[in-house]
Amino acid sequence: MSDIIEEPFFKGSTGRNTRGVLRLTILCLIAAAAIASRLFSVIRFESIIHEFDPWFNFRATKYLVQHGFYDFWDWFDDRTWHPLGRVTGGTLYPGLMVTSGVIYHALRALTIPVDIRNICVLLAPGFSGLTAYATYLFTNEMTTSPSAGLLAAAFMGIAPGYISRSVAGSYDNEAIAIFLLVFTFFLWIKALKVGSVFWGAWCALFYGYMVSAWGGYVFITNLIPLHVFVLVLMGRFSPRVYVAYCTWFAIGTLASMQIPFVGFLPIRSSEHMSALGIFGLLQLVGFVEFVRAGVPSRQFKTLVTGFVVAVVLIAFAALVLLTVSGVIAPWTGRFYSLWDTGYAKIHIPIIASVSEHQPTAWPAYFFDLNLLIWLFPAGVYLCFLKLNDEQVFIVVYSILASYFSGVMVRLMLTLTPIVCVSAAMALSYLLDTYLTIKSPPEPTDAQILDAANNSSSKKAGKQDGIRSTREPLVGIYTTFSKTTVVSAMTAYLLIFVLHCTWVTSNAYSSPSVVLASRMPDGSQHIIDDYREAYQWLRQNTPEDAKIMSWWDYGYQIGGMADRPTLVDNNTWNNTHIATVGKAMSSREEVSYPIMRQHEVDYVLVVFGGLLGYSGDDINKFLWMVRIAEGIWPDEVKERDFFTDRGEYRVDDGATETMKNSLMYKMSYYNYNSLFPAGQAQDRVRGVKLPEVGPTLNTVEEAFTSENWIIRIYKVKDLDNVGRDHASAASFDRGNKKKKTTKKRGPKVLRVE
Amino acid sequence: MHFLKGLVLILLPAAAIAAKRAAVDKFQQFHSKALSSTPLKLDDSIYGQLTSAPRDYSVAVLLTALESRFGCQLCREFQPEWDLLSKSWTKGDKKGESRLIFGTLDFTDGKNTFQSLGLQTAPVLLLFQPTHGPHAVADSAPVRYDFTNGPQSAEQVHSWVARHLHDRPHPEIHRPINWVRVIAFTTTILGTLTFLSVAGPYLLPIIQNRNLWAGVSLIAILLFTSGHMFNHIRKVPYVAGDGRGGVSYFAGGFSNQYGLETQIVAAMYGLLSFATISLALKIPRIADPRTQQLAVIIWGAVIFVMYSFLLSVFRIKNGGYPFWLPPFS
Repeated sequence: MSDIIEEPFFKGSTGRNTRGVLRLTILCLIAAAAIASRLFSVIRFESIIHEFDPWFNFRATKYLVQHGFYDFWDWFDDRTWHPLGRVTGGTLYPGLMVTSGVIYHALRALTIPVDIRNICVLLAPGFSGLTAYATYLFTNEMTTSPSAGLLAAAFMGIAPGYISRSVAGSYDNEAIAIFLLVFTFFLWIKALKVGSVFWGAWCALFYGYMVSAWGGYVFITNLIPLHVFVLVLMGRFSPRVYVAYCTWFAIGTLASMQIPFVGFLPIRSSEHMSALGIFGLLQLVGFVEFVRAGVPSRQFKTLVTGFVVAVVLIAFAALVLLTVSGVIAPWTGRFYSLWDTGYAKIHIPIIASVSEHQPTAWPAYFFDLNLLIWLFPAGVYLCFLKLNDEQVFIVVYSILASYFSGVMVRLMLTLTPIVCVSAAMALSYLLDTYLTIKSPPEPTDAQILDAANNSSSKKAGKQDGIRSTREPLVGIYTTFSKTTVVSAMTAYLLIFVLHCTWVTSNAYSSPSVVLASRMPDGSQHIIDDYREAYQWLRQNTPEDAKIMSWWDYGYQIGGMADRPTLVDNNTWNNTHIATVGKAMSSREEVSYPIMRQHEVDYVLVVFGGLLGYSGDDINKFLWMVRIAEGIWPDEVKERDFFTDRGEYRVDDGATETMKNSLMYKMSYYNYNSLFPAGQAQDRVRGVKLPEVGPTLNTVEEAFTSENWIIRIYKVKDLDNVGRDHASAASFDRGNKKKKTTKKRGPKVLRVE
Repeated sequence: MHFLKGLVLILLPAAAIAAKRAAVDKFQQFHSKALSSTPLKLDDSIYGQLTSAPRDYSVAVLLTALESRFGCQLCREFQPEWDLLSKSWTKGDKKGESRLIFGTLDFTDGKNTFQSLGLQTAPVLLLFQPTHGPHAVADSAPVRYDFTNGPQSAEQVHSWVARHLHDRPHPEIHRPINWVRVIAFTTTILGTLTFLSVAGPYLLPIIQNRNLWAGVSLIAILLFTSGHMFNHIRKVPYVAGDGRGGVSYFAGGFSNQYGLETQIVAAMYGLLSFATISLALKIPRIADPRTQQLAVIIWGAVIFVMYSFLLSVFRIKNGGYPFWLPPFS
């Protein structure tokens, strides 16, 4: 509301410049705040890559920087998924690595020596500043209020919903993808408003970049067609829509097909069919509009309408036919589970097992968005005031993203931008109304009466607009009203800032590779078991020793210990994962042949019983069982791991199958020795363990970290004299075998 | 083993009788019965005959409790599926090449069997493998099917049965076309079309009403952001008792919630949004200064109190949350 401000300083061309400088300063400050609030983990711990997936991205980036782009593109990785290997170059989204690679080489060219690790750690915070700017641009397209954009940028900069995936060290695809998402949407709105091929092409190019960066691009692929479809239904078809969409679709599809991992999916998979269908629909509608403009005959119009309906029906039937006959791939599991919410649990346990694929409970929304969550509907309502093409986009985006975020926790990320934008629109509208010096003159009684009469007579005639805006706008009379509302809002905003800082600092800044705990005197104690164990692997095992672990730790072993793994977080081969699950959940005699066949040298398990670390393998164990059961329903049965009363227990009451499973044995092996007899306690499950601990025959303990979080076992070689491992181990323990009188003597080197 | 012993004891007399006749006859006899009505309705004695030890055929027996006084929901839900499976299997295998007999033993007819097997729950599905003949297996104890994952469909049980009967024909399941459903569906479609074409001119203004769409959109957004999908997927209880005879409205724990709880939260969000909309849109349009002043105070207070309450509710869910606003702390 620049016209309300009276000072000459803000008027005319000087004023425009001043405002521009102010705006730039504010944006820079917002970007600085966005970056700074993401640095908690670097300051508290160190510059380290977090969690699981980022370790793979980091490893891939190092490969790219070392070997160059073309080698990276053709990279076949034989150090994962042993013995299958993985065509890594063709099965990843290269956008993230290429971005860091480009930054790295650019900095080198400027003779700034910088470690690639630091680029990877700081990439996400850096891009969050850009995201704030993109949000500013996007919001400015939506509303005339100049303050809304800045507010939206500030919200986007510090909203925990976005910070959760972009703290320093969280080197994941989402780090750059959210910037690309918002910027693509900005370009799309721009293209739609202007109806220009130029902006449409830019939109398509950034869409292509987005496709190369994150699998979530499908959200854009479906949202833009949906927006166009709603516009057509509303009768808002125009040449602008036609030009913008066709440009985006043609160039964007070609761009997306350049990524090997995507390849021909855009014309084969059902997820992309809506974009193709809307493209066809627009041609039809465009043709009909063209004819309609030329031929003003009533019958002809009916004919044309019939023609359009028939073509749409035929196209739909053809689509169904192609899907049924298998030319078009069916929905991919992850996407399908978004619609049929019970699907994943029945058919694809591996998707259901990932914690970020769980549905969202309401506290998560409030935790991630705080007061934005209730400003959000108000902002959407404001969009209905002046319902242009771009406001329709906000409404469609809001509903779709709300639904998706409810089904899957990780999709909160796609909801956050639109929440920030809508909330900023609502808040800036409120502040524009209340934060102004000018008050309307006090009306006389006659005027009030007059106005009342006027409005009631107007009401009858005006049914079209939104209900709240039928009366004429007056303004706020008293300074008291203004100060109350403005100060209350300021207080809420301050709480919001405090909330965001608190959430970021407490919930989202833990690298999860390093755990922090408090000593009794309040000082920080770092629990570094993971790195201790990976370092042990790196220094004490041969370079090609194969490590078997559950898939969660595959990327970390590859990244930190640099050892080949059987399975990792790129869960492309369910059978292979089920094999590992079977080995973990079966008896030793069953597991040993499996491990031999896969040339496993070491087995790594995560055990939190001593420390009370709840994310350990025993808690994940049921998923291993379930996934294994999916492939071998006769050999592994989930039911056998529950007691008769349906409890999952690890103490004396545990089932035989549970006690004999390799995972159970490896977790609790020798654990008794830490405690006085009969006092062994599991601090995660909070139970007392059986008096006699498990015995292991086919593997031997190789390493246990300081707090017992990581335990590594070496798989024994075949016995030298051909005994089976059970009897060999029992011999070594000194158990008397029947008829053997020989005592265990000193070991002698066998000489042939 | 204990239960096997009991089984053998029960079966001994029956086995003695049955052993005299040729085993082939026994299968043919039951199979011809099955052709007319399957699954066979068993009682204690027939069950004994059917599952007695020397057998060269397989038997699948569903032990169930259908009567309403037992209140076995799962039994009643699974029964039609079981009937469908046995009917389509027997129909597809009239010659009896798969050598499989389906039977149902209701608790009212087979109390002794239930006791001897030591069964506490129903339904239980047992598959007895042949003890001699071409398909004989070493372990003569029946295989038990788990109903742990709720009601099972005929297809799931079919694949389980088929897995245990190697190298034998596995007749497919043919679900009968549900004519009532088809007719109801067609009628509904036609009815809707007729209704639309007649009422179209009157409905069109309603459909094009912007207020309606605004309302629908906001309700959808409030539903989703208050965790409705979580309720839908996890099937959470609507409310739960607090153990002292009262009602607990808010579930403990950050990733846990009740149905009523989400509705309360949605109502809070809705009220806060509505207050914001009123402050932003309606109040600047009130022409009378005193009314306006009053409205500002009222809506401002509503937001303040509601937000304070929301924060206090959130503190229940997340113990360590440090922020609050005055009235509710």
